[in-house]
Amino acid sequence: MTLPRHLYKALGDIVGQANISDDPAVLDSYRYSLAHTAIHLGPYYDTFTPRGAAVLLPGTTEEVQAIVRLCNQHTIRFKASSTFWSAQGYPSEDDTLQLDMRRMDRILEIDEKNMYAVIEPGVIGATLQAEAMKAGLNAHLPGSGCSCSILATATSYFGSGPSNLYGGWQYDNLLGIEWVLPTGDLFRTGSLGSGCGWFCGEGPGPSMKGVARGFLGAKGAMGVFTQCAVKLFAWPGPPTLPVEGIVPAYRTPLPRNFRAYTVAFPTWKAWADAAYLIWETGIGYLAHRQYTMFGRDLKFAMVKILTDPTKTLGDLEEILEDPQVQRVTEESKRDFQIVLAGMTTRDVEWQEKAFDEILARTGGWKVEAMNEPEINQWMLLYLIRLGHKNLNLVFGGSYDGAFGLVGPADYGTTYAEEAAEFKKEWEKRGAVVQAGGDCMMGPIGGMGGGGTCLWENFTCFDPYDRESVDGTREFFDACTQLGLERGWGVGMEKWNAQARGPDGRTTPKAERDRIHLSSPQPSAFRYQHKIREALNPNNLGDEYYETLED
Amino acid sequence: MALEDFAAEMDRCSQCSYCKWIPFDHVKSWRFAKNCPSVSYYNFNSYSARGRYAVARSLLHGDSGVSETVRNIAFTCMTCGSCDVSCKICRYNLEPLEMVRELKFKLVEDGQGLEAHRAAIAALHTEPRSSDRSKAGRGDWANGLDVRRLPSEKTEVLFHAGCRSSFDRNVQPTARAAVQLLKEAGVEIGILGDREACCGGRVYSMGYRDEFVRLARANIAAWAEAGVKTVMTSCADGYHAFKRLYPPLGSQVEVLHTVQVLDRLIREGRLTLRSTVPMTVTYHDPCHLGRQGEPYVPWNGVEKKIKAQIVVYEPKRPRNNGAWGVYDPPRNVLRSIPGLELVEMERTREYSWCCGAGGGVREAYPEFSQWTASERIAEAKASGAQAIVSACPWCERNFIDSLAATGERMQVFDVVDLVRKAV
Repeated sequence: MTLPRHLYKALGDIVGQANISDDPAVLDSYRYSLAHTAIHLGPYYDTFTPRGAAVLLPGTTEEVQAIVRLCNQHTIRFKASSTFWSAQGYPSEDDTLQLDMRRMDRILEIDEKNMYAVIEPGVIGATLQAEAMKAGLNAHLPGSGCSCSILATATSYFGSGPSNLYGGWQYDNLLGIEWVLPTGDLFRTGSLGSGCGWFCGEGPGPSMKGVARGFLGAKGAMGVFTQCAVKLFAWPGPPTLPVEGIVPAYRTPLPRNFRAYTVAFPTWKAWADAAYLIWETGIGYLAHRQYTMFGRDLKFAMVKILTDPTKTLGDLEEILEDPQVQRVTEESKRDFQIVLAGMTTRDVEWQEKAFDEILARTGGWKVEAMNEPEINQWMLLYLIRLGHKNLNLVFGGSYDGAFGLVGPADYGTTYAEEAAEFKKEWEKRGAVVQAGGDCMMGPIGGMGGGGTCLWENFTCFDPYDRESVDGTREFFDACTQLGLERGWGVGMEKWNAQARGPDGRTTPKAERDRIHLSSPQPSAFRYQHKIREALNPNNLGDEYYETLED
Repeated sequence: MALEDFAAEMDRCSQCSYCKWIPFDHVKSWRFAKNCPSVSYYNFNSYSARGRYAVARSLLHGDSGVSETVRNIAFTCMTCGSCDVSCKICRYNLEPLEMVRELKFKLVEDGQGLEAHRAAIAALHTEPRSSDRSKAGRGDWANGLDVRRLPSEKTEVLFHAGCRSSFDRNVQPTARAAVQLLKEAGVEIGILGDREACCGGRVYSMGYRDEFVRLARANIAAWAEAGVKTVMTSCADGYHAFKRLYPPLGSQVEVLHTVQVLDRLIREGRLTLRSTVPMTVTYHDPCHLGRQGEPYVPWNGVEKKIKAQIVVYEPKRPRNNGAWGVYDPPRNVLRSIPGLELVEMERTREYSWCCGAGGGVREAYPEFSQWTASERIAEAKASGAQAIVSACPWCERNFIDSLAATGERMQVFDVVDLVRKAV
């Protein structure tokens, strides 16, 4: 369906004619390839999300309200997205209006005293962090990296990343929200709703954070979040990151109150024990098993490439032949990265001492090759800014996470090796990158000491190569089967299968119901069904807001 | 190459949007974090590199046709290459700048070029220049200068003034100053005067590949006839064309930008800067001298896979990501000037914001072009500088025009102008 001209004109009158388009080529730049990253379903070769009816670039909350009201009058679906990291932000049905929130990109306030920022959807992690640092504060960045919308990670997904350890998961950090409901009405949550400012997500005022976010975030399916406040946390570094080095091997020589280490352990139990001791001791600023995303066999060789501007992927095989690289690769099988940041010199010295004691007790060690100044400073910058996360795609252009074991440190470590061996066998078939099986990456815990780790086994493939895409899908199907057999549950590889199907469109209801009924807590989706009936009576979102009828 | 040769890249572009931002490690503020003028101005994804990959794919697959919007999407790209730098922070197997150029070539070959460009191109068939003035008088900028005229006189070093300096009276003094400085330092140079032809660089970036080849071959032949071994220029566009685009067509001359020569002369003590120039300035890296000013490395290879699905090339493909552009020579020169303080803008070196003059945008989208320049002026002001200094007459022209249009005040110089003041 082409949008009727009178509706197109009416929408154009709202946002301005320069901010609306239904040119087919423009619409095709708002379709997402299902042979691509972080879709958590498929992958499906040469398959795209549906073409929208029009793309709109609203500039104000009032414009968003007017668009949504018009959609309700004419029963037109709409989908808002800010930075379009994955398929979740794109329409699930034909003739949906795509709202690109890019123009609403202001940082409205950084409250230094109360440690929060008020932001619009288009604010990305890098800009918020850069501005927060000037006030001695920092923002928690999602694992997808600083290119992503902070509002989206807080309202519409779960926002996990390396700074979970100190900055919390992003849903923890969500304070007041300005929410254009699916009907077009404006709703303000938490303290904002009682006129008390942005400082609290749960009142005084309407305690609607859970309702607004829903299960794992609203994912653009329940109206439009036009502003929100997120917690910030202390930044004991300079107001601007000092950056040196030749592109892309940038690095930051931060003061000595920052320490960055890659540590490794003799066994997975020792690895988990160290994680528990870190939480118990209350040390650490960032912690993540990051570079294993390249694969156990390739990670140090990749670090050598990434820290040397004269090197490319074409040097990989030669670097892998280097005995020093082989030694470090073997030495750092069971590793993670950690950044210690002291609020004072004494603080960091104490943390370092405590961390050394943790290593002594668990038999762990610092991987000395990662302490070479140029590598160490590169790692420090990488982890703080998270500006190289598109390395997820470095090999062939696509990746997705398999397994996604979420739980205490012991849980993931118990099964990590089995999952890795399983993947390694599949790697031999040639559809995915042969990386050593163990490509498990993810954060070390959450805020407040302890909590969950996430074990996402990165699987890299070539979206242009049909055999690679199809072979990857077969592997993911096998992962799901293994997860069910072993009691791990359906892995990350299928997380979005309940919302979108192999044709890029909404999963049929019968299949959605089957998935939700077989979940541990179907009542959560029944509750969301009631919420949707109340707040979204015309059902103008999509099934990323997961529901189950009674 | 043809657009079809980028089909794999169109699928392998992960749509991450890194192409819309400067390298994230270098983000210092909200205000100056964006890198791509066209998506910053027009906002739709389609105007970014990721969007242009998607649009090109849509065209190739026949899912959409060429509309006015599509032509705007392609031709508002300044081919400044900032997307290319940011993309390659993480990717080793995508070439977004080359793809966009190829998209322009394809549209032009299919008769879908812009009218604003056609006029300039049509004139080239009779007059080998990219300016809208006649060739007669091209060498007038050098009237009165004691400089050899090739090919009747002989010297191995040619100074190529370029179209902008030849016909724009505001920037002509820079070309004259360059020649005088070089001569004073003992460099024997010659010029082609009225026989000088357009370098073709701007024609190339508008999408007219065949015209570029014709101009390049003419220049290469003229240089050979005159016995030229080295070409010097003060124009970043010309530098890029000679350095990167001519070698595949057979050019083997050494190519130097004036700032490189001045840097060398100052370091060797052949040029001494004695006069104080008490001024705080900031340096604007021209795209074609900075990130696109890397050496040309020939490559003729094929894609292959290692470790089953890692895409690499046989033999190893040179990586042009701005790492080895010309950044330090102009800064060295400026720092050599007594009393002058050089401050940096937030976006600098390989991640500089474009001046807005490139890719045929100045000719076809003047309002957008001036907005782009005004953004750079705002950034220069935020640095605390009194003046913005560049090393390209096209940048200088666009800054001057933007200042005139907006009423903003800031001095605009070429590096050469300030050296002249200091000698």
